[in-house]
Parts: sequence; C-alpha cells; structure tokens
Amino acid sequence: MTDTELDRVYTLLCKTMTDLGESRSQLFLARFALLAIERLDNPQAAESLIADASEDMANA
Amino acid sequence: MVKEFQPYPFKAKQYSARLPTPEQTAKRAKVVIVGGGPVGLSVALGLARQGVASVLIEADDGVCFGSRAICISRRSLEIIDRLGALDGFLQTGLAWTGGRSFYRNEEVLAFKMPQDDNQKLPPMVNLAQYSIEQFLLDAAERVPDLIDIHWQTRMTAIDARPDGVTLSLSNPLGEYQLEADWVVAGDGGRSTIRELLDAKLVGTSYEGRYVIVDILMESDRPTERLAFFDPPANPGSTVLVHKQPDNVWRIDYQLRDDEDPEEAIKMENVAPRVQSMLDMMGERNPWAPIWTGIYKANALTLENYRHGRVLFAGDAAHLVPIFGVRGANSGIDDADNLAWKLAYVVQGKASDSLLDTYSDERVFATHENLSYGTKSTEFMAPPSFAFQLMRTAVLSLAVKHPALSQLINPRQTSAITYTESPLNQEQEENAAFNGGPRTGAVLPEGRLKVQGKDAHVTDLLGVGFTLYFFGDGAAIPSAWEQAAQRLARKDQELRLVTVTREQPEASSTAAWDSDGSVFALYDAAPGSAYLVRPDGHVLARWKKAQPERMEAAILKALNV
Repeated sequence: MTDTELDRVYTLLCKTMTDLGESRSQLFLARFALLAIERLDNPQAAESLIADASEDMANA
Repeated sequence: MVKEFQPYPFKAKQYSARLPTPEQTAKRAKVVIVGGGPVGLSVALGLARQGVASVLIEADDGVCFGSRAICISRRSLEIIDRLGALDGFLQTGLAWTGGRSFYRNEEVLAFKMPQDDNQKLPPMVNLAQYSIEQFLLDAAERVPDLIDIHWQTRMTAIDARPDGVTLSLSNPLGEYQLEADWVVAGDGGRSTIRELLDAKLVGTSYEGRYVIVDILMESDRPTERLAFFDPPANPGSTVLVHKQPDNVWRIDYQLRDDEDPEEAIKMENVAPRVQSMLDMMGERNPWAPIWTGIYKANALTLENYRHGRVLFAGDAAHLVPIFGVRGANSGIDDADNLAWKLAYVVQGKASDSLLDTYSDERVFATHENLSYGTKSTEFMAPPSFAFQLMRTAVLSLAVKHPALSQLINPRQTSAITYTESPLNQEQEENAAFNGGPRTGAVLPEGRLKVQGKDAHVTDLLGVGFTLYFFGDGAAIPSAWEQAAQRLARKDQELRLVTVTREQPEASSTAAWDSDGSVFALYDAAPGSAYLVRPDGHVLARWKKAQPERMEAAILKALNV
C-alpha cells in the first residue's frame, strides 16, 4: 500500500464515522474489526494485532 | 505576567501617493496589476523579464506588516532566481530540510524534504513576508521603466468589457481612472475585484482555529518544522513552531472548540501558553511578543481564473490551508505561469487562448494543492470527533508501528506536474522514456559545466522557449540552428542548449555533463531533446528529436 493509498483509506474511514455519528462509531469500529479479522484469515496475526492495539491504552 | 509588544526587527520604507499626469492616464496600459504582494510583484517582474511594462496598484504605503507567509519552497526560489531577486532570499532566509513531530513526550515522526548534491537551492527557506516583498520590490525598483507602482492607491470600481478594462482608483491626493488591455487581480484573500465581478469561491471552510503568535527570542535551536500534538505544556492542543530570521519565532497553536477567539488572542491569555511551551522546549531566554492573530483554514477556489480580460492569481483566485505552506508558494507559481503567457499575448506572439491554459493549469494545480492541504488540515485541525479519534490512534501507535507515521507527515508543497494540460505537446512520446520529467513537469536539477564554470540545468533556461539537446559532441546539428532562425523570423525566441558527455572546447557554450548524470536523470540518449517553456515546464520531449516537430510543437502550443 502506498502512502497515498493509506491516506485515502484513512480519510474514508474518518468520513464514514463522521457520517454515522459518534454514538454509532463504536459499533462500526467493532464491525470493521470483525471483517478485518475474517479477511486476515490468520488467528495468530489477529491475536498479535489485538495485543498491539491494546498495549499502552491507558496512556493513549 | 505583563508582556510589552515589540516591533518587528524590520523597517519598511514608506512610499507616498502621487497623481498621474493627464498624459499618463490618457495612455492605455497593456497590463495593470492590482495588488503589490508577492503575487503582484512576481507578475510585474515576470512581465518585465519578457520586456512588457505594467502598472502596479498597491493600497498600502510599503511592504506588508504582520505574520503572513513564512516558508518559501525550492520551486518558488527557482522562479525568484529567474526574476532576478534570489540573493536576498538566500542571504537573509533560513534554509531547512526537515522537521519533527511529537506526541506528548515522544518523537513520532522525523521527515526530510528531497535534498541531494544535485540541488542548487534548499528545499525550503524561512523568511517573513515583509522581507519576501522587500526583495521582490528591490528587483522591481531596478526596472523603473517597466514597473510603475502607484502606492496608497485603492481600486474603487472596475468596468471589464470585451475590448478593455477601466479601473477607477483613489488615493489621498485624488481620484483617477486607468484604461488597460489586461488586468491581473492579485489583490489577496479579500479581493475587491473578485467581489465586484461577482466571482464565487467554492469549497470548504474549516471551523478549527489557530492562534498565531510571533515572538522575539534569542535561541541557537536549528531551523526545522516542529509540531507538538497534545504537549504536556499545552494539553489537548496542537502547536507548531518555526524559526525565522532575526530572532523571530512563529508559534501557532490550536484553540479548543469552546474557546472564544477574541479572548484567546489577548496577551494575558497568550503569554502563559507561550511561556509553558518555551519551558517545555528548554528555551530559557527572555522573549517578547510582536504580533498575534487568529487563523482558520479554508480550501476554496474560483472555478476559472480567467474572466475575459481579468486574470485572477494567488489568494484572490484560491485560498489553500496554511498546513503544507502552499499559500504564497502557489501564488508565486500562478505568477510564473501567467507572466510569460500574458507577455506573449500582449506582444502578439501567441493567441489569447493561451491565457485559457493559465486557468486550466493553475485550477488543476489548486485542486492538487487542496487535496494535500485538506489532508494536512484534517490532521492538524480535526474537523470531527472521528478525525480526532483516528488521529489519537495514529499518534499513540506511530512509535511502535512506524509505517503509520506517514499519516503524520505534513505533506509539504512540491512542484506540480500539469499532466492534463492542453499545452502539452506530443504526449505519446513520453512512452519512449523510462525516466526524466514527462510533459507538463518541471526540470529536475542536475549539475553541468559551462565554459569551465559550474552550472545547473535550471540556470540555462532562456527568456523564451529552451531546447535542451542531448548531443554526441558539443556542436548542435545545423538543422536545429535553422529551425531556431525560422522561429526568430516569426518573432519566436528559442534558446538552444547542447548537453554533451564529451568535454567541449574552451570556446564552446555547450553544457558538459562530465559524469553522465544529467543524461541519466533525463533518460536521454544522443539525439534526445527536451523542449521547455519559459516557466520551466516541459512542453514536449523526444527520444529521437527532429527540428521540424520541435518547431511545430511551439507554434501549436501558442496557437499561431
């Protein structure tokens, strides 16, 4: 993925959540995470991403 | 904490108003430029370079005041070099190549702008706008016969007709009118001409507000772009710090949505925030405020920069966000694109449809600038909870997952390639190359030697079109000289530059590419050629060039 492509996807994600509104965004992110896990099709990788994303959450 | 304002370390010369004589007002001007900022002055200098005189109308009595543009890009410096004003920019300006971003206490991004040994100019210099204008004005004052500046003069009405334009002007001594063939609207973000002609800006205005503070402080900290997200000294805010010449520092910080901007820029509210930022950065020297203001990002443009005989340029034509430093730089690029085209039309060297390509190319450039500028703005001033939430995610992951740090990159301005321009000729020839600048691109910089002296590719650009011919030896085949002579008889100036890998004789003006690096950079073989416009963009290129096709490309582009 190029920087420009990453930018584009990032902006699409932000705009989609903006349109859904703050209260629906938590569920949206949960659904997105499930779809990404399913597409990843790699339980070890998914578990490692869950660990990475939860690391230092207290300070984020 | 009481802080007394100090003046900028700069004394602007004051110019008085005058009333033109009846003979002067009776003479119809070829070009009147409204607005004496960086854009208006660059258009006037660009016209003068082509031998076209202009009248420049400026409302103030000298160069600007306050904190405005501060970063000048390599592309702008290249243009300013051609305008004969570069020396001051390099002597006074502070050159820099990169920057760092922090999230709380951690560095999350270090970026570098493109820089290598081939370059003649730094990727960026920091310089206050009053100095930018002063150096351009100094150059304008060296050609008084070609640039006639009317100071302290405001435009009150404009009558733009198919056959010419009448401007009503007013200054402290009285009122007068000027007739012009062409008018350049370089009158800034609140353009009077835009309003009077009912031209509409379209796009987005952002709500996020920044306080801009200029301070005076001694520090030997290097010149770089510093960004602080949620710094301990200013929790929840985003702060930008830029060093300027003469101990001036520019600090920009984001206001919370619930803060009143009127209150926020009062010194009793500004001083503690600045002090805590300086404490955090480890700056111990005393400081004094010079200026404060409020900034809101806009991403707005006119849909057409040509309105008959009126041509919009710079902030009058488009407002681009501050983040990525595309404001003054895109305006200087507008001026460079417009000046030669307007000069060619005034001199009868091109049909006036050439001015439509000014609008085509620069509206395209604005859309490119806005797409990058919008991304930077959405990161620097998140327009919704979602952008704010995602930004926190990026910043908190960037140290351990550096691939994400590209999302923090400020995407600084860079030269724009006019990929879709109707001016581009022989586009299908691009396919024969595996590198080098395509049609519509600017020239990548390279080192050459001309008559034993060091030179750069961009130094060799002529006032008119330039053909860079990549030869077997130092001599250019006579058919090229003959084509140049045929063009000269049609009043078209063409400079022939031969680039060769063989060492030329001392008397030759050919450019020696001693290590073959320029051949490689342009993916050239003996017999290849690049035809370049007066603004340094490639008009056409051929792997195996023929003089007749070069000649035809110029005449077709100019529609004559």
